[in-house]
Amino acid sequence: MNAHEVIESYVVEVALLLPRKQRNDVACELRALLTEELQAKADAAGRRADAALATDLLRAFGEPVDVAARYRPTLTIIDPADGHTFLRASVIGLAVIWVIGLLSVLQQPIGTGLDLLTPLSQWWVGTVIPSLWWPGLLVVGFGISTHFRNRSPRASTWTPRSADRIHGGRAAKVMALVGILCGLFVLQDPHWVLDVFWGGRAAPAAYEALTYTETFRERQAPWLFGLLLLNIPIFITVIVMGRWSAGMRRVETGFALATCAVMAWTIWDGPVLQTQAGDRMVKVILALIILFVLLDFASKRLRRITPAPRAQF
Amino acid sequence: MVDEDAFDKLELELRRGVVVLATLSQLRKPRYGYELRQTLADKGFAIEEGTLYPLLRRLETQGLLASEWKIEDGPPRRYYALNADGRKLLKKLTESWQGMNAAMDRLLKDERP
Repeated sequence: MNAHEVIESYVVEVALLLPRKQRNDVACELRALLTEELQAKADAAGRRADAALATDLLRAFGEPVDVAARYRPTLTIIDPADGHTFLRASVIGLAVIWVIGLLSVLQQPIGTGLDLLTPLSQWWVGTVIPSLWWPGLLVVGFGISTHFRNRSPRASTWTPRSADRIHGGRAAKVMALVGILCGLFVLQDPHWVLDVFWGGRAAPAAYEALTYTETFRERQAPWLFGLLLLNIPIFITVIVMGRWSAGMRRVETGFALATCAVMAWTIWDGPVLQTQAGDRMVKVILALIILFVLLDFASKRLRRITPAPRAQF
Repeated sequence: MVDEDAFDKLELELRRGVVVLATLSQLRKPRYGYELRQTLADKGFAIEEGTLYPLLRRLETQGLLASEWKIEDGPPRRYYALNADGRKLLKKLTESWQGMNAAMDRLLKDERP
């Protein structure tokens, strides 16, 4: 290859990475500039402009992919300010999906080491590879957020937020109160759900499926009923005041933990409903509620900031 | 001892901040890429060719430069020059730079042992 061919191949590589309508024009200009640069370099070195000199020049100029990128405005998919949050959400999300998938495949009986390979391959194909939807979803979410933030930077102006504010506002607490009242009705008589949604015309099997066992009625139901009932005055006070006080927060935390304890007791103590399928479903729902409440506590604990100078020694 | 890597990175950041101003300052009259690079280098502000040439295109895309192909004693060359918006921006950036430069001068004099 001679110097001209070296420059030509470089220019083509750069141009191919540019938008179609820009390619020929940039290629023409870049070739002229590089030829001039090469000649100046050769003159300065007192030698002929050969392929080796051209290669040195182009290596210093940069990789074609980098040079092509410099010709275009910077494209930011995820705002650098969101980089750490994106990475943390990706890693934690993938870890949760992989662990849940691993636990579910390891539930089948395993005899020998070879038997372990089957669930592991099921885990790889059924959980690990499909789990890539999670980072994909995060890229889309963070990308949309970055797009709107760049488009209207004023819309994302910071505003002070009170520490004792109600998350979701009063509307969220009213909804929570309605949820508590529904919970009280269901605890008192689960058939109420069927009466509300099917106007009392649900199949007898459905009524039978939604019948509490005597054990649950006598042991856990009164506790759950009482704890739910105690939440009502707190929620009404918060809705009226429009904010949390430290005392109310402590009381609500205590009630929530006590409710979790009773729900855990309910799961371990025996059947809640008289049919096996219904009972299993209720226990899964209770377990999910416990998990959600505990994760919420853990998250609040991790996010708590106590300003204090770091010890130097 | 100052870490050389840290110095290089910070110096690069400093240079990045003024590359656009330096480039615009020399385009009050039309120049082509190589000529502009030589002019900047002669005045003590060398910019790598791989940085300068794409920058000219980006500034043109941003509506600050006008360009045209010309043949003047040599091969066809693309000449760039400030347009009206580019001139306004250069004026504002120059004022801003002079303000910063004066402030930095005062700050650095204060700290001089």
